[in-house]
Amino acid sequence: MISFFKTIWGMLFRLFPCPTKVGLCGIGDPGPDSPVLVTCNFDLTVKRLKRVLKSIDVWLLVAESKGVNVWCAAGGEEFNTHSVVSAVKTCGIEDRVTHRTLILPPRGAPGINAAEVGSRTGWKVRWGPVYAADIPRYLADNYKKDEGMKRARYDLPERLDTGLGSIFPIYFIGAMGFFIFGRNLITEYLVAGAPAFIVFMSLCPWIPGRRGITKAFFVDAVLVSTLMIIEVSLKQYISQLRLFLIIALVMIPVYGLELGGLASTMKSDLDPFLAKLGIGAVGNVAFAGTVRTELLNGYRELTYNEDLCIGCRSCAEVCPQGVWKMGKNNKAEVVNKEACTACRACLVQCKTEAIQAPRV
Amino acid sequence: MFSYVFMKILEMKPTTYDRHMDRASRSHVLEAKRAIVKEVTPGSYVLDVGCGTGDLARMMIERTCIVDGFDMNPAMVMAAGERIKTEHLEGKFSARQRGVEGMDGIATETYDAIVSTLVFSELNDDEKCFALQQAQRILRPEGIIIIADEVVPQTWCRRILHSIIRLPLFAITYVIATNATNPLADLAGEMTRAGFTIEKEVRSHGGHSPWSWAGKRRR
Repeated sequence: MISFFKTIWGMLFRLFPCPTKVGLCGIGDPGPDSPVLVTCNFDLTVKRLKRVLKSIDVWLLVAESKGVNVWCAAGGEEFNTHSVVSAVKTCGIEDRVTHRTLILPPRGAPGINAAEVGSRTGWKVRWGPVYAADIPRYLADNYKKDEGMKRARYDLPERLDTGLGSIFPIYFIGAMGFFIFGRNLITEYLVAGAPAFIVFMSLCPWIPGRRGITKAFFVDAVLVSTLMIIEVSLKQYISQLRLFLIIALVMIPVYGLELGGLASTMKSDLDPFLAKLGIGAVGNVAFAGTVRTELLNGYRELTYNEDLCIGCRSCAEVCPQGVWKMGKNNKAEVVNKEACTACRACLVQCKTEAIQAPRV
Repeated sequence: MFSYVFMKILEMKPTTYDRHMDRASRSHVLEAKRAIVKEVTPGSYVLDVGCGTGDLARMMIERTCIVDGFDMNPAMVMAAGERIKTEHLEGKFSARQRGVEGMDGIATETYDAIVSTLVFSELNDDEKCFALQQAQRILRPEGIIIIADEVVPQTWCRRILHSIIRLPLFAITYVIATNATNPLADLAGEMTRAGFTIEKEVRSHGGHSPWSWAGKRRR
């Protein structure tokens, strides 16, 4: 019952932590040669991984992330080098396996320095596929990844899944607000808000604009234009439709503002916006002064010195957007700079400081 | 009846941490530190696990001890470094940034005493077990380990009361600091399983308060 409640909580309230037990667990019948996968201690992530991996014999090492999912926890540095090192050294895995190879989730790359994990534990680190569903094929192919396994896609199921988990609390709070202060409008709010979310998240890759908020304003403009066309053509003022529309017009930018924070394929809007407003932090979650927000606000810029590159391939391995590619001379090349979302994964993984983020 | 979960909020400002902890705990923390210091033989070589700003270390140095400390929080280690400079504790106290997982790098039978205040309630089960095993290894024969922390009260009615008081504090702390602690349910059992013999177990305020400290010698 508690497990079911935690699953629902994890799905609907992804903005809030939902921790599960940290430590080592075996899936199937793992032995001394079985692979060791590392993940965060977000309950829903661990459950989904176990479901995907149920037909394989693997060790799953659940490391501390304060109950937050891999992408968010790595961005907030709660899923970090220390949590992985601590999990490896204290869980007893060294006595269970004969090899010394860890497979980490690449979405953890902004928080986990693989080279430091290696030097502090003596374990070799590999970055697995971005999506858990690809893990069985990745293991079967002897740790080989195709380009598709390295890149974040943010396709429809993921958009609806992450969107629901992050936007539901806002939707819920809005519903409570209407329930208390404007009960006569709650039906319109519930009816307009949910379809607005589904339509916006479903169509978002095809909506013009690079950022979530831009896409949202575009949709708002289309909705207003459509209403005007309908009213002009019918020569009729439709008050109920206007009410639905006003609610949708407000909700869609809320979804849009949050979109960049959800998708590893888009730049975040909310954090740099809060930083610009002078909101430096909420509790321990910092907005101002972090490398990420300074990159997003243009106070820093990623630089690359090819002479320092040793061809370790780390940047190309972890970039969810395919910004980096290995060139013919075994040096990294920037091939898709516009796609960079300032997640810092390449910056954290670069062993020689060939990639840096100096202040502009 | 009390809870120390709010310490995660106070940790966000290391320069005032000790003062505010003492005030908020009505000097229980200070009393516990004094009691720990009394148990450590003067002149001992001591490891302070989770040394914070070095307040406990300073008290032990007054009893001619030499203290090595470590803490996970870089701001706390920086504050400890400032203390070393301003109070001229060089050679008597050192503070490093690391977690308990780094204890495996310490040589066997190095320390006469290991002390720890409000750290084990921050660790997960594996880390606690690992830290105690490493403590067993790095303590000299007849060495002493003293752990002071928030523990789960002994009787069910006190447990309920403790939970009622703790829950809002936990929620506020989590919202502000995105971090919290867990009171220890069976510290004595965990220490015994790691190979320590329990010499003394103290619960402050006759067991009414969950603040507890335990002095244990190596088997």
